[in-house]
This record gives sequence, structure tokens and C-alpha cells, in this order.
Amino acid sequence: MQLLNDFKNGLWNENPTFRLVIGMCPVLAVTNTMTNGLAMGLATTFVLLASEIVISLIKKLIPNDVRIPSYILVIATFVTFVDYFLKAFFPPIAASLSLFVPLIVVNCLILGRAEAFASKNPLHRSIADSLGMGFGFTWALLLLSAVRELLGMGSMFGIQILGAWYQPMVIMVLPAGAFISLGILVGIMNYITKNTTRDTHCH
Amino acid sequence: MSEEFTRVILLFISTVLINNFVLIRFLGICPFLGVSKQVETAFSMGLATTFVMTLTGMATYLINTYILEALNLPFLQYVSFIIVIASLVQFVEMFIKKTSPVLYKALGIFLPLITTNCAILGLALLIPLNGYNFIESIVFGFSAGVGFTIAIVLMAGLRETLEFGDVPEVLKGVPITLIIAGIMAMAFMGFSGLISI
Amino acid sequence: MNNSTGRLILTLTVLGLVSAFILAFVFQWTLPYIIKHQAKAQERAVFAVLPGASDYKEVEKDGQVFFEGFDQSGKRIGVAIKATGGGFQGMITVMVGTDPEAEKVYGIQVLEHQETPGLGAFITGEKYEANFIDKPFGDYKVVKRPATSPYEVEAISGATISSTKVTSIVEKAIKDIQRAYGGGA
Repeated sequence: MQLLNDFKNGLWNENPTFRLVIGMCPVLAVTNTMTNGLAMGLATTFVLLASEIVISLIKKLIPNDVRIPSYILVIATFVTFVDYFLKAFFPPIAASLSLFVPLIVVNCLILGRAEAFASKNPLHRSIADSLGMGFGFTWALLLLSAVRELLGMGSMFGIQILGAWYQPMVIMVLPAGAFISLGILVGIMNYITKNTTRDTHCH
Repeated sequence: MSEEFTRVILLFISTVLINNFVLIRFLGICPFLGVSKQVETAFSMGLATTFVMTLTGMATYLINTYILEALNLPFLQYVSFIIVIASLVQFVEMFIKKTSPVLYKALGIFLPLITTNCAILGLALLIPLNGYNFIESIVFGFSAGVGFTIAIVLMAGLRETLEFGDVPEVLKGVPITLIIAGIMAMAFMGFSGLISI
Repeated sequence: MNNSTGRLILTLTVLGLVSAFILAFVFQWTLPYIIKHQAKAQERAVFAVLPGASDYKEVEKDGQVFFEGFDQSGKRIGVAIKATGGGFQGMITVMVGTDPEAEKVYGIQVLEHQETPGLGAFITGEKYEANFIDKPFGDYKVVKRPATSPYEVEAISGATISSTKVTSIVEKAIKDIQRAYGGGA
């Protein structure tokens, strides 16, 4: 039951994108197509899962004063792994995410969960938390990229959905459209849950 | 010499306005959303970030050229860059604390936040990617910081005014900030034809 | 607390070493795949811009690498070059295939770019690349309407800058090939 709660927490109550509003750089940058959004979500979930597992296992060995540098080191190692893995086996995805794969290192979502959850909780709960947060992040990316790709190019996952009659709103795939559509989506989420986003940010 | 000088000036303009780190490249969104409520704090944050970015530009160039490339260790790039940034921030904090208590008072609380600002790591990663030389790396770091400062101060100015605006309840806070950022990004797109790199 | 300083350094050193070891292993494991992909992408691009070529070989002249394409009888039918230049957001790399004897461009293929998706990214699209098919060597003019002369290139609407950048990269590539293969000059 507790595990289920840990898992559900990230999916909805404390959704990293819509409720905690952390780790926003990739949310805005790579959601121009659904393929990118999904790939980024899964890559982040993997790094989150692997980092929380390792940190939860070695938390007792790490002196308090070097906690943060040690966590960053662990995270950076897994990110490099993901980067080379994508470059070797999924080169088109690696090319389109480019700079934002290495930037997973400084995604405050990962360091934030490592610090707030994995460093205080046992292994099985950390796994549940990382999967919940990771999938919560992934569906948020998918939703935003679906809106942007459909309106901006009339397609989903690169497959043309809307016919030739549809005049694509190019602004949606541009930076400006990213900000505006995310703003509106967060607003809609606030409306659904009837409360305003906590004005927190990373750190 | 003069050709080099022109290139540096063009690099400065294009990094500040055309490829603005925050509004076009989506780097440093967290502080942009989080520390943009008051013009004064936003300016201090921008100043601290610019300072660290300039040093980062220099440090990453040296490390990448003389250690990582020289010893053929490309796979340690991310790990070493993030360690350099973290230690640089720590060092700057200690240095300012000792030399200028006034400056420390103004910037001190922002410095720890800078380590996880993805604009800094993004900057470090873009330097080897774009193949900048030593001077260009420093200018790139400095102008990225200036661009960041401009964006965050503009946003803070707008949000101060917005305090008195009649914003719908559900859009208060983050949503309206994002929508304003979108309009700012549109405005910055206007700079795109300014010069060619 | 003296003990703890030592422990701090020890912890970070051990973590750093473990990390470096793991990454060195990952690097060794993935590198061959990465190199293979790059070689394949390059081969595909060379054949795409040199239609009719069944084999190609890399030739170095004046510090530049050219790709000479040969047909089945072993006759050289064209030369391609990988040209790089600044785009709207970052560097653009274009493979340009030419026939230096007939002084024309066979075609181009954009290999790498960081242009805006939905706008500048259309430089990789067939419609834009088709601009350069069978184009005579020369200085080109980017126009915002369908090209009427062979020296005109139709810009992507909303992405004139990206279109112009690619065009000047192609012009540069042509000059490099002309210099090395003596066509024209």
C-alpha cells in the first residue's frame, strides 16, 4: 500500500512537471515532437531509477558533507551511459535530443529526488518513487509534445493525422509555442485539481 | 586582429539576443521562473550567474583541450564538467566571502543555486560542440550570462507590474509566467535577422 | 573530526574511480557501434548525392577530404565533399555531390544541423534539397518564390536565413572542389 502511494505520488499529486514545476528545461526544449518527448521521458526515468537505486544502497557510506557532490557524480555517470547507449543504438534519437541528454545531469528532478527521497528511504520505496516520478515526467512530456506536434505539424509520432486542409500553426513548434502551451496546460491542471501550483522551484 | 575582433563582437550579439540562452535555447528555466519576482534579486542572480559563466567558459575550454582531448578521455566530459562547475561555484563563494562582504551579501544566497542551473552545464557542453577557441570561450560565457541577465530582469519587471493585474486564479504563478515568457520569446525571434554568424 | 576530512576525500575519490572505470568500459563497448553508424550515414549520403555511383573512395587533397564516386565500369562520375558552415542556430554539415567536368551539382544532402524544428529544419526536406539537383556551378540567389533561373534557390518560407546559409555552404563546397579538381578555373 505504501509502495503504491509512493508510486502514485509522482504520477499525479506531486507530478514533477505540473505540480512541482521542476526540471523544466527539457520539458520545454524537446517537446516539439512526440518521439523526442517519449525518448527524453524514458531516458530521464532510467537515470532517475538507476541513481535512486545506487544512492539508496550507498547512502550510509557517504559522509553528509559530500552528499551532494557524490550524488551528482553518480547521476553524471548514468547520464554518460545513457548518452553513449543512445548514440550507439538509437542514433537518430540521440541526434534530435542532442544537448539535452547530457543536461539530464542538472535536471533538478533527479538531484531533488535523490536528496529528498532516496537518501532517506529504503531501496524498495526508492524504486517505487523513481518509477512514479519518472513516468509522471514522461506522461507530462508526452501530453505537451502531443499538443505541440499535432497543432504545429498536424502529425503524431511523425505520422500525418490532420489532412492537407490543416494549416499548421508553426508557432507551436517554436520556442514561443513551448512556453505558451505549457503555461496553458499548467493552468488547465490547476483548474482540474482546483488549487494553484506551489510556487516552488528546484533547489 | 580586426577580423578576430569582429567575430567576437558578432558572437556576443548573437549569444545575447539571437540565441538567447533562456528564451531560445531553453537553458536556465528554473531560476528564470523561480527568481524572477523582483527586479533587484533578479539582477543579483543575473550578475552571479554571469560571473560564474565567464569563469566556466574559461575553465571548460582549458580542461577540454588540455586534459580530455589530450588524454583521449571524451567519456569523462560530463562528469568532469559538472565537478568543475561545482568546485568553481564553491571557490567563487569562498573568494567573495573573504574579499568583499558587500558583494557576498548581495550574491551569496544565489551562488549555491547556480550549480544546478542547467545554463551553466549547457554552456560548458556547447563550447567543445561549437569549437570555440580560448578567447571565444570566455566571450561566449560572458555573453550567455548577459543574455540570461537581460531575460530574467525583463521578466522580473513584467512580474512586478503584473502584481496589480487581474490574472485569473488558475493562471496565477507559474502558468502566467510561462505565457509571458512565450510572448517574450516571440519578441526575441525578431532579432533573428540581425546578423549572420 | 580530523578523521572525517580524510573520509570525505576518500569517498569522492573512490566514487570518481568507480565512475571512470564504468564509463571507460561503456565507451569501449559502444564506440564500434557509433563509428559504424557514422560510416554508414556517410556512405548513404555519398551515394545519395552521386547518383549512378556504385563505389566510392576517399581522397585527400590539400588537407581536404573528397569522395570520388565511380560507376560500374570504374569511371569516375563525380566528386562529393562534406562542407560545414554556421547556420541559424549552430553548425550545418552538408554533403554536396558534383560533376566537376560538367560543372554542375548533382544534389545535396544535409547531414547535421540544429535548425528550428518546423521551420529551418526543413532544409533536410526533399523539397528544399531538390533545389540543388542538376544545378550549374555559380553564385546562387535565394528567392522567396519558385526559382525561375537555374541560379536561383527557392527559400523555405519562414526560414530564409537557414536557406541562405545552406546555399552559401554549397557555394563554398563548389569552390573547394573546383580548386582541387581544376574545373572551370
